[in-house]
Amino acid sequence: MATDRYLSERATLYVPFFSFIALLCAVILLLPYETVYIRDRTYLSLFLVVIVLSVAVFFLGTLYNFLMWMRGKGLTTTPERRLIGFAKLAIISLAHGRLLRATRTLLKDALYLSKLKERSVSRWFMHLMILGGFILMFILDLIVTFSLDILRYQPMIDETGWAKLWLRDFGFDLVGLMMLIGLIMAAIRRSILKPKIVRTELPDAASILFLLAVVLGGFILEGMGIAGGIPGHDQNVEYSFVGYAFSLVMPASSGDWYDAAWLVHGVMSALLIAYIPFSKLFHMIATPIAIELERLMTDKEGSA
Amino acid sequence: MKKLDISKLDVLSLIRYDACTRCGECTVTCPTGGEAQEDELVTPRGKILRLRELHRAQYGLKAKLFGPKEIPQDQLTELSRRAYECTICGQCKTVCPAHLDTIEMWENMREFLVHNGLGPMPEHDQLIKSIENYDNPWMQPRTQRSRWARRLENDIKVKDALKEKCEVLYFVGCTAAYDPNIKEMALNTARILSKAKVDFGTLGNEEGCCGSTLLRTGLIDNARKMAEKNIEMFERAAPSIIVTSCAGCYKTIRQDYPKMGKVQPKVMHITEMVNELLDSGKLVLDKRMEQKVTFHDPCHLGRHNGLYDEPRRILRHVPGLELVEMERNRSESRCCGAGGGVKTAFPDLAQKISDIRIDDAEKSGADMLTTSCPFCYQSLKTTIEARGSKLKMTDLMELVASACKD
Repeated sequence: MATDRYLSERATLYVPFFSFIALLCAVILLLPYETVYIRDRTYLSLFLVVIVLSVAVFFLGTLYNFLMWMRGKGLTTTPERRLIGFAKLAIISLAHGRLLRATRTLLKDALYLSKLKERSVSRWFMHLMILGGFILMFILDLIVTFSLDILRYQPMIDETGWAKLWLRDFGFDLVGLMMLIGLIMAAIRRSILKPKIVRTELPDAASILFLLAVVLGGFILEGMGIAGGIPGHDQNVEYSFVGYAFSLVMPASSGDWYDAAWLVHGVMSALLIAYIPFSKLFHMIATPIAIELERLMTDKEGSA
Repeated sequence: MKKLDISKLDVLSLIRYDACTRCGECTVTCPTGGEAQEDELVTPRGKILRLRELHRAQYGLKAKLFGPKEIPQDQLTELSRRAYECTICGQCKTVCPAHLDTIEMWENMREFLVHNGLGPMPEHDQLIKSIENYDNPWMQPRTQRSRWARRLENDIKVKDALKEKCEVLYFVGCTAAYDPNIKEMALNTARILSKAKVDFGTLGNEEGCCGSTLLRTGLIDNARKMAEKNIEMFERAAPSIIVTSCAGCYKTIRQDYPKMGKVQPKVMHITEMVNELLDSGKLVLDKRMEQKVTFHDPCHLGRHNGLYDEPRRILRHVPGLELVEMERNRSESRCCGAGGGVKTAFPDLAQKISDIRIDDAEKSGADMLTTSCPFCYQSLKTTIEARGSKLKMTDLMELVASACKD
């Protein structure tokens, strides 16, 4: 009986969880990627294998962290069952008019970082550039993938389409630049200014260097594409203003290495996603949850 | 192998350990880790990272895949010692950009340490035994608890709230009831309430320790017993309001008791009540005091409960009294060093922290330093005397009582 219950509690969590991952991976693998700027499709296949694995590792790592939280005080059942309970509670609370408040909390305290702004404008700006750039990049990625591969939206495909010029070319460069500015500020702060409050250990340095390599790598890749006249990078290149600037110092022959560089950039981006749950970057997920959960509990105590 | 049991760490605390961005904002303002010792491990970030590292070594993914890692006893002892060097002043909560409620985290961390046999500090033992045996931390007999009231003038009647119905129950607290240097705090509070014709009483010798010391040192189960006993007394006395003159009792009864039982009456600190009495005209402060005063915000009153304006409004009511602020005030106020069991376990550290606060007070140009917490009063007064400072230490209620209309 106890074994049955043990298994059923786990199944209630793991069956939908793994189904979700499988579905997500299937979508990633099945998208046509006809408009991806790459000549050798083998590189694309290799990238897809890595990204699918990375996404799976990201979700598994995140779930593992969630389950570890559930081992805390008051555990009367399995961590899995408790997590399901928490998830249900979150959904119910959001459905009962808390969505707006939670969104406001997320925007004001977790994204806009209102409290950090009060204490140090420069650190706030630095952090906002990194986090804001990261999130906008993710949103843009979703929009572009959805409109390209699912909707087949022509203004996103046409070389002179507004969506292609402003969202794909200009948009990505803008948010990438935001991240680059923030990361350079962080690197200078940690390696040169070294204020008293900064403590740099290997995981801190690794997070910054990883991000920096991905962002800088993206611009270098774009520069190579423009310099080499790779399809998709041969018209209206000035919209990709940062990549265009990089292309000015690159020889046309760098285009020969474009596919390999694309794969390296793609794999690094994928690994970055997989690294999140095991690094300090996980605070991007844990902090908003902590803030909202605390508000929820304070409101509950207040109304009790 | 020493296995840490994380079942006493709150779910929210565990989330907060992952939510810490390691920015270090807390490290410079922390009175124990940042200012008095410059020791990263005592700072909030240091403690968070160390505890996270230790529990991850036994519960993290790596531990799951390759087996839990043994934690050397000296590392555990060090973590415990560092955790108990914290005064739980809440300065880190004020500055944390990630909005982490670090006050709850430290109290919960101590509960976890106690559960794992790593806390409290041996220096706390006597205090804890005294609370268990005598209902107060000062090894004084229960029968002496209401003795302070004997010094009141004959015309002030302190009702026994368990025998006579009264509107307000004055919860005196152990320090004001027993410490001969702090008794004036209780006497002045009674004088003020009497002057304003407040119908008040006390629990007399039946009043028990609020349990604050137990809660702050992580002894939750022991504290629960104290709380239950006091809550039962509150039910028997059935006042409309409970007023405390001790910031520690105020925090405990107002914030912690509701987690352990139902507290029906409204809980007020004396500064809140005096404000109401002044506003209603029941209390008039009309004696001039041509002095400069600065107010030290007790952590339990300010950062823990948000009472910053109440004491300052009272001071502004006193004619001639000039209120000057220390550079660090209100939510940024430095700690006096006495809280969280630090004064008992680490008196030298407490003294260092207190010294820094007295520096602040002296720099403000004030003649007088006032506060509204017996622990802060005691700690700051000792330091003033030790360094021969010209500052005069006063309790806020002493000022109010002196400024009252005859």
